[in-house]
Amino acid sequence: MKKFGIILTSLLLVAGLVTGCGSTPTTPDKGAGGLPADVQAIKDRGVLKVGVKVDVPNFGYKDPKTEEITGFEIDLANAISKEILGTEKIEPAAVTAKTRGPLVDSGDVDLVIATFTVTEERKKSYNFSDAYFTDGVKLMVKKDSGIQGLKDLNGKKIGVAQSATSKKAIQEAADKIGAKVTFMEFSTYPEIKAALDSGRVDCFSVDGSILSGYLDDSTVILADSFSPQDYGVASKKGNDGLAKLVNDTIAKLKTSGELDKMTQKWGLK
Amino acid sequence: MIQLEGVNKHFGHLHVLKDINLTVKSGEKLVVIGPSGSGKSTLIRCMNLLEKPSSGKVTVDGVDITAHKALVAKVRQSVAMVFQQFNLYPHKTVLENLTLAPMLIKKVPQAEAVKAGLAYLDRVGLKEKANVYPSQLSGGQQQRVAIARALAMRPKIMLFDEPTSALDPEMIQEVLDVMVDLAHEGITMVVVTHEMGFAKTVADRVIFMDDGQIVEENSPQRFFENPTHERTKSFLSRILR
Amino acid sequence: MVGPFAWFKWEALFRDWTVFAEGFKTTIMVAVLSLALALILGIVFGVLGTSQWKLAKLVSRVYVEFIQNTPLVIQVYFLYHGLPHMDVMIPVFAVGVLGVGVYHGAYIAEVVRAGIDSIHKGQMEAALSQGFSFWGAMRHVILPQASRIVLPPLTNQAVNLIKNTSVLAMVAGGDLMYRADSWSSDNLYYGPAYVAIGLLYLLLCLPLATLTRRLEGKTGVSS
Repeated sequence: MKKFGIILTSLLLVAGLVTGCGSTPTTPDKGAGGLPADVQAIKDRGVLKVGVKVDVPNFGYKDPKTEEITGFEIDLANAISKEILGTEKIEPAAVTAKTRGPLVDSGDVDLVIATFTVTEERKKSYNFSDAYFTDGVKLMVKKDSGIQGLKDLNGKKIGVAQSATSKKAIQEAADKIGAKVTFMEFSTYPEIKAALDSGRVDCFSVDGSILSGYLDDSTVILADSFSPQDYGVASKKGNDGLAKLVNDTIAKLKTSGELDKMTQKWGLK
Repeated sequence: MIQLEGVNKHFGHLHVLKDINLTVKSGEKLVVIGPSGSGKSTLIRCMNLLEKPSSGKVTVDGVDITAHKALVAKVRQSVAMVFQQFNLYPHKTVLENLTLAPMLIKKVPQAEAVKAGLAYLDRVGLKEKANVYPSQLSGGQQQRVAIARALAMRPKIMLFDEPTSALDPEMIQEVLDVMVDLAHEGITMVVVTHEMGFAKTVADRVIFMDDGQIVEENSPQRFFENPTHERTKSFLSRILR
Repeated sequence: MVGPFAWFKWEALFRDWTVFAEGFKTTIMVAVLSLALALILGIVFGVLGTSQWKLAKLVSRVYVEFIQNTPLVIQVYFLYHGLPHMDVMIPVFAVGVLGVGVYHGAYIAEVVRAGIDSIHKGQMEAALSQGFSFWGAMRHVILPQASRIVLPPLTNQAVNLIKNTSVLAMVAGGDLMYRADSWSSDNLYYGPAYVAIGLLYLLLCLPLATLTRRLEGKTGVSS
């Protein structure tokens, strides 16, 4: 009898979560200074909280020696913070593919700028800005493997990152040329690299710009590039004032040529 | 039947047995007495190698068991031991206690082992307890079962390590009766005990141990009536009041 | 506003139920096989830990201390990423069985050792004096008695073992946790995914935990 009680309680708990968090429609209220409430809240706090990558060289990378996080996406975050606060002041939080969604939901970060690919499915859960960068999925293999292109990967294993869209992109391309591939998903990029080194996977496939950070003497990145993907800035559904501000900022950076300068600075074009 | 030559035993820095030389003849009833801590239990436990001598040689039924480790288990089949704490198997019934080793070690068929087991239980007067568990028996009854279990292996030698010391006084006699009965059968017996009455009536020879040494050995009459050694005298005077 | 538990995310979960069923199957298979391995290792090393033979005791000690004092994740990483560099490529399913089995074997060895130690040493002496070998005495006299004492902590270990199979998710092992990670990271419907697999783990563990409590009541052992 007690057992049923526990199960029943669990189910009720779940049901509560479903209905409780279902929907509380909000329209952005205008704050005191004419700013949307969500933006005003950041301004009052005096710092923009941003989820960024710390393991992707040139995008968001934490130098193990200086503990400093730098990269293209950090610069972008700073530019957005300047727009809100008047000065560049961000509080970066390290995110992985797995944690970036929950951290936005919980409000621990205002924005996620972390090589986050925009998809229709994801748009249902989060506000995404227009693309600030477009990148294709590429393939890294060991030099001595003799693999030249996707067709050579027939019957092989491909290591991809969880929460990355590369799996879908490669699968579609492989289906087209009739190659059979299997995917192994890992939660961090270094783990995929370790799996490539140990021979657990035959290929390391994520976005090309990320991949270039892991290139070494024994590996090579193939010329093939698949389904260009847009990176967008993600924010919580409902924080529509913030989403609009981010979009406006990106548009401004694009027209002024600032964005191009940033990508060039980090060697991404 | 049993021969100890130059046996020494150390427990850490304690020298428990000091250069023991002893021979037990076939069919002999040897009683070992002595104060606690004198080494008498260690001595009897060396006879089936439950205690490994630090040096010296133990020969049982012609086999040097200190030299031939592989033969120890085989020799133990014919050297049964009865313990102070009975050590019956609590997860087995009384009858199973008797049949376990014969069936598993001597490969006696079950029907035969059960028949023999019941016969031995009958001998110690506990046939009706065959299907109960040891915990349901009194101490005296448990020790009688332990003796029957020892007999079920059809041993040539029986070792008794203070078989009545853990019993309530009113139960001692029932166990001694079984042992006296057994002594009339010609089996070789070595008994460590404080029961002087038993020693007097049953023993062919009595040895007195103190401080790891055999101080005195003699026939029971001479031993009890005319002890020669001072330590024996003082021990006997304390115990026989 | 869309919460992590929005209804359309639950609908997606039920549509893709086979993904979770696959993972559930793998988790159960890894759990059963690694439990069998852990029991064998646990009994062998638990018994060795109580033996008089010094080398056996040492080997058992080293095994238990080494495994108990290093994280399971590191051990699994070693099997998965490390061994291939020594030309030993163990399939990931076997990595799970071996990793989790060896890990819990060390804990079960301690449980078994404590169980054996709680049996009066007169039992071993009685069996040896009848002509049993050390292992024969263990099997027929000591272990059957120890098993009654050992059973409650043993089922407790089984519960922990089931939960720890989720370490496979870190090496793309295809277990329940991996499937949930994989599925929810594509669409970011992590809310329903983790609640659902949490319930599935509960489904496996709760009966065992209940059994543990009942066994503890029976033997009079309380925590």
